[in-house]
Amino acid sequence: MEIDNDVAMQDVTEERLDPTLDEDASAELHDGANSSEGPGASGIADHKASKPLQLDAGNIGQLDQWIEHLGKCQVLSEEDVARLCKMAVDVLQFEENVQPVNVPVTICGDVHGQFHDLMELFKIGGPCPDTNYLFMGDYVDRGYYSVETVSYLVAMKVRYPKRITILRGNHESRQITQVYGFYDECLRKYGSANVWKMFTDLFDYFPITALVDNKVFCLHGGLSPMIETVDQVRELNRIQEVPHEGPMCDLLWSDPDDRGGWGISPRGAGFTFGQDISEQFNHTNDLSLIARAHQLVMEGYAWSHQQNVVTIFSAPNYCYRCGNQAAIMEFDENHNRQFLQYDPSMRPGEPTVSRKTPDYFL
Amino acid sequence: MDRAVQQTDYDAFSCKISAIAKKYLPCQKQVEYCGMEDYAALHMAYGQGLKALSRRAYGKIQKAVNSGLPLMNYGTYLRTLAVDVEIMSFLKQVPKNSKVQIVNLGCGSDLRMIHFMSQYPQLTWVDLDYSESVSVKAKILKSNDCFLKTLGPPQNTDDAEYVSDRYLLRSCNLNIVENLLDILKEFTYPDVQTLVLTECVLCYVKLPQSQRLIHEMMSFYQTGTWVSYDPIGGEKKADKFGSIMQANLREARQLELPTLMVFNSPAKYSQRFEDNSKSTEIRTMWQYYVQEITDVEKNRLKSLQFLDEIEEVEIVLSHYVLLKAIW
Repeated sequence: MEIDNDVAMQDVTEERLDPTLDEDASAELHDGANSSEGPGASGIADHKASKPLQLDAGNIGQLDQWIEHLGKCQVLSEEDVARLCKMAVDVLQFEENVQPVNVPVTICGDVHGQFHDLMELFKIGGPCPDTNYLFMGDYVDRGYYSVETVSYLVAMKVRYPKRITILRGNHESRQITQVYGFYDECLRKYGSANVWKMFTDLFDYFPITALVDNKVFCLHGGLSPMIETVDQVRELNRIQEVPHEGPMCDLLWSDPDDRGGWGISPRGAGFTFGQDISEQFNHTNDLSLIARAHQLVMEGYAWSHQQNVVTIFSAPNYCYRCGNQAAIMEFDENHNRQFLQYDPSMRPGEPTVSRKTPDYFL
Repeated sequence: MDRAVQQTDYDAFSCKISAIAKKYLPCQKQVEYCGMEDYAALHMAYGQGLKALSRRAYGKIQKAVNSGLPLMNYGTYLRTLAVDVEIMSFLKQVPKNSKVQIVNLGCGSDLRMIHFMSQYPQLTWVDLDYSESVSVKAKILKSNDCFLKTLGPPQNTDDAEYVSDRYLLRSCNLNIVENLLDILKEFTYPDVQTLVLTECVLCYVKLPQSQRLIHEMMSFYQTGTWVSYDPIGGEKKADKFGSIMQANLREARQLELPTLMVFNSPAKYSQRFEDNSKSTEIRTMWQYYVQEITDVEKNRLKSLQFLDEIEEVEIVLSHYVLLKAIW
């Protein structure tokens, strides 16, 4: 809690009930690359392999066991998370900034720790690996099961690397997760920040965009004034914390807007971009569509810029409060698109008493 | 149910402390237009007083402050500022040296009276709420000179309330209008210009009682201004915000919002006051944000915390309204 020293609540800090880091501490954490607290401190990437992880009977059995466990919304042990993250580094480090993806594929937006709704998504879209999936980021924060959600998706990625693609969202970041819940959830469920450190170190390896059959450009946020071609994305060094500005930041933070040209984002990072920008980008790169997530849309999907851009949001009743539908987009061999909408799952077996009430002004 | 309603005071107060801690409040307009001084210090002093009386309440507040999300800070900032500005506008139009009264129904831990009473010596202020809230507030106010010097020396020795020449803090169940009117007859004048404030209060009162409360208050005072802030359920068929809010609060807090879906739009909310009033104005808090907050101020807010939830902010703030009715 940040407070002026001249106001009389000094002993607040010594009896904080909830050890959320304040902004200063998170800035230190973010910037302190050389300290024991900085990026890479978890050690999950200390012994990277020189070629992609090979699946064998041993690790397949281990992964299937984890997936079954996680499928019941139960967290893995800290040791297993470490093993999972190490394996995931050896899958994700070999993926590209613009990860090529084949058709057919089902494209999904924000999940935000709503684990039971993710299970509903797989029911609606068909089980993975029978159906190929592309997730466009924001697995953690806001919902109450960020640990289970991201563990499950990472385990699926390692188990079926060619069947599921997981991009990075703006919430897959050390700084944002300290404000929006994933950090606190890790502390609560594991008693330390170790698991948070492992996952946030792993997030640095997530690809930032995907290209479906060379025609649909998929990413979490949107375009950047510093990026005119898909090739320019390929040249970025993505293995880092999401920067506060610059092309990588914009790809994860920007939004399409009704106004033309580039605009200042209301979020404090990234830009807004108009239809002229989207049309030019799609034309330059011979694309048919930009698919992105990042924004809550009430029907779960929304077209903008005369079908040059689609927004997909896959967290129904976002934050257990907003009342929105969720959607996923099926994209088949003939490049036909079909949207599947769904409502919140009933969350059977979830003890309602332990659920925190969504915030309201009372 | 009464206890569930009374507990909402700690939500409101902790939201305010969080917004202060993150520097949303006080803002320039509160300082310059509303003349508010020592804003953070007074609220922190109250927080310290609460800590001495109820570790539990204090702990709840501490916890809420530490997890204060940008959306909650934005909404708290807007609600606080909007009400402050309405009160100041009302006070500014009162002729100099004319008596003026403000009645804060369901006052909870609100400390507005300090800021306005210190600027307007002719202002009488009435704070009413459940006895639990009132007795805690009275003890805190009486225990610190920074409150006492503005409110004036307490006249009685009753610990459970605060009565001075210009300030009354007394327990009152707002569901029973007769009790309310008895207090107001004793301490206020029907022919003095009066502002009635209900900030997240009417939404907890049942339909007939709430309508009677509005009617009786507007009949008792010859002229007045009513400032009210409340949630509305939303009137569109696809809009589930209100029904989800009712279900969430009922399940987790046993808190009922009996008229949320009745007065579910700004127009319907406004109609509650229209029988008795000369004019009514109503805006959603999202409209207030878009229309009243300057670009410079919006940029200041943006610099305080990353706001990755602007669409959600629009949804939530579109379901809260600020009404001003003049009669």
